[in-house]
Amino acid sequence: MRFQDAARDARTVVYAGIQADPLVARLAGLLESASYAERLLARAAMNGERTGAETWRRIFPTLFGGDVDEGLRAHAEQLLAASLEVADRGDAARNQYRGAVVEELTAQLLARRAAGDAPVRRERRVLFDGVRAEIHPYDVTVESETRPEVYDCKWGARGINADVLNQLDDARAHAADEEVDLRVAIVVFDARRSCEIRLARSTANREGTRLIALETLDDLGEVRP
Amino acid sequence: MVPCRRSGRYACRMNDRLRVIERAAVSYRALADLAETVEDEWQYVTDLTEAYLPAISALAESDSGRPLRAEQIAAVDEAIAEVGLITDPHKAIDWLSTFPHVVALALGGDVGEPAAGSGPGSDLDTDVSDDDSPFRILLDGDR
Repeated sequence: MRFQDAARDARTVVYAGIQADPLVARLAGLLESASYAERLLARAAMNGERTGAETWRRIFPTLFGGDVDEGLRAHAEQLLAASLEVADRGDAARNQYRGAVVEELTAQLLARRAAGDAPVRRERRVLFDGVRAEIHPYDVTVESETRPEVYDCKWGARGINADVLNQLDDARAHAADEEVDLRVAIVVFDARRSCEIRLARSTANREGTRLIALETLDDLGEVRP
Repeated sequence: MVPCRRSGRYACRMNDRLRVIERAAVSYRALADLAETVEDEWQYVTDLTEAYLPAISALAESDSGRPLRAEQIAAVDEAIAEVGLITDPHKAIDWLSTFPHVVALALGGDVGEPAAGSGPGSDLDTDVSDDDSPFRILLDGDR
């Protein structure tokens, strides 16, 4: 089993431009240190109709109410401002920005436990001996010799589908054939309950696939046994 | 007369909570009606609605001894106004997942866990321990 850079076509070149936008890294950085409530705010604001900050301050009194600690409020203000910058890009662009933010956030959270021999990388394919390569690269990979990991990232639970689950499970199974313990997971910037509802109707094999949802994003940064 | 006034205040506070939750539920139902027009996602929309609509209603019983603050009621009404602006059914699907959690956060409740017998995943979460579930790894995250 080995990792390889994904081939770049016109679509990926355009998307790479979005991934490289400083707004993506800034917003992901704010989300990396955010609470659940702040992450919910970001999800709502980036999916919102109105882009005036005062609206969102009223909707989230737990973050902007009068009794909120100044430091926490200041962080939430920065996160809200960055989220509204994404929302301001318009419906077409915001879809791509949101996806790029979830990927970058995933990479930043994984980097909490990154080591020199397990670099966190982006847009990589996994190749197996004698197996036709998958077309779609994985959004984020942890390329450890002993405990490699691959992640597919989604903005919403609706993005969970059989193709994604099958690709992850196939990769895990092919790795197992080579006696490699490849850990596969799907990261969804959406409520865990919604993801479970989506998964409950899926017949794809997913017993070996982890789900990381909005409430459990910090798990990505914790070392697993 | 004092006991009566006290009980009147309690009833008023409870009515505030019930009324705002009722408005949220009506808003959620309208959002679902819009989302249902995406035919390919009809089942998912139905499943979300069957799970979250009772969960929103159940917020009436959470933390019931404490009155809602004005900013909590305003938060829910502002969230209702926000989803009321949505005309794109695809965006409505996204909000079907988000709105209940926003309302729950504002009111200090939780819609993240299913009540017994609600929604398609209810057996998974209420009748089967995580250790025995075929979805164990997915449900557990890092455990």
